[in-house]
Amino acid sequence: MKIEEQTVDSVVIVSLDGRVDGSTAPDLEKHISDVVERGDARILLDCSKMDYIGSTGLRVMLAGAKKCQQGGGNLVLCTLRATCKSVMEVSGFLTMLDYYDTRESALAAQS
Amino acid sequence: MLTFAEEIMLLILDDDGSFLPTRGGAVEYILAGAVLMDLAFANRIDTDLEHLTCLDTVPTGNPILDQALAHIADSSQPKDTRGWIETLAGQDTAEIRQQALASLIERGILESQDKKFLWVFRARRYPTIDGRVEREVRLRISDVLLSDDIPDPRDVAMICLVDAAGFLRDIFTAGELERATPRVEQLRKMDLIGHEVGSVIAEIERSVMMAMAISPH
Repeated sequence: MKIEEQTVDSVVIVSLDGRVDGSTAPDLEKHISDVVERGDARILLDCSKMDYIGSTGLRVMLAGAKKCQQGGGNLVLCTLRATCKSVMEVSGFLTMLDYYDTRESALAAQS
Repeated sequence: MLTFAEEIMLLILDDDGSFLPTRGGAVEYILAGAVLMDLAFANRIDTDLEHLTCLDTVPTGNPILDQALAHIADSSQPKDTRGWIETLAGQDTAEIRQQALASLIERGILESQDKKFLWVFRARRYPTIDGRVEREVRLRISDVLLSDDIPDPRDVAMICLVDAAGFLRDIFTAGELERATPRVEQLRKMDLIGHEVGSVIAEIERSVMMAMAISPH
């Protein structure tokens, strides 16, 4: 999995490319922690290139959302591919985390 | 930090240190799920809707977890989460229970007492010496279920186990439980292992009820 980061209107966009599974999720966990610890608690996870998510990845996203909430911000997801979106719907994560179909709508909600 | 098996054991014991009945009488599935959850939170296994995968065979240092981890790692037959819950539950889960109890005694949370009843039979009980840990577990569950905050993944997993065991009614009043029900239903799906434990036990419960309904009186 590759992780890229850019900041738009003080929202940190974290783009995920590849599989978020048990072996890569700890990298994402660390990345989110580092972002929140430096004081940026508004994070947008762009999942347009994420092609797999397992339970560990889901837990890391939930823990990351909790960290952002505790830091006074929030963690928002956008542009999930159909298979990953289906996993997140079945497991109820999209009822807990904010999700937008496009990066623009997610950014507008975050700004 | 306590393991899931240790935390659930605290809730399985009543004030006298006797075991409470679990939903469907299926405590072995609760303990098997607890072991898999501990392995998942230790980053030794990962799960998705179709697979349970071994990520890392480095021992955790906990004999029960390491025994299950070795079993999963050595298995030539891939199984999904439910398959592994059923496999581990079908083995001797008394060992999981004994190790959890021994750890809780060693930490000074429980004590072991042998009592005689009817002058002949012996029964071992595990009364609580230090109730703070159990209260903390109950409080964590209560806080998560009665708020809208984003929950900690570990609390979500624990709530799935407690719900599967049928113990939420021991933590909440009827009114609180009614208020918490939509939240329980939301969280129930969020931990795959916990969700599968709940599904297996619900099936067992249904089978028992059907068997009772059709058996001649």
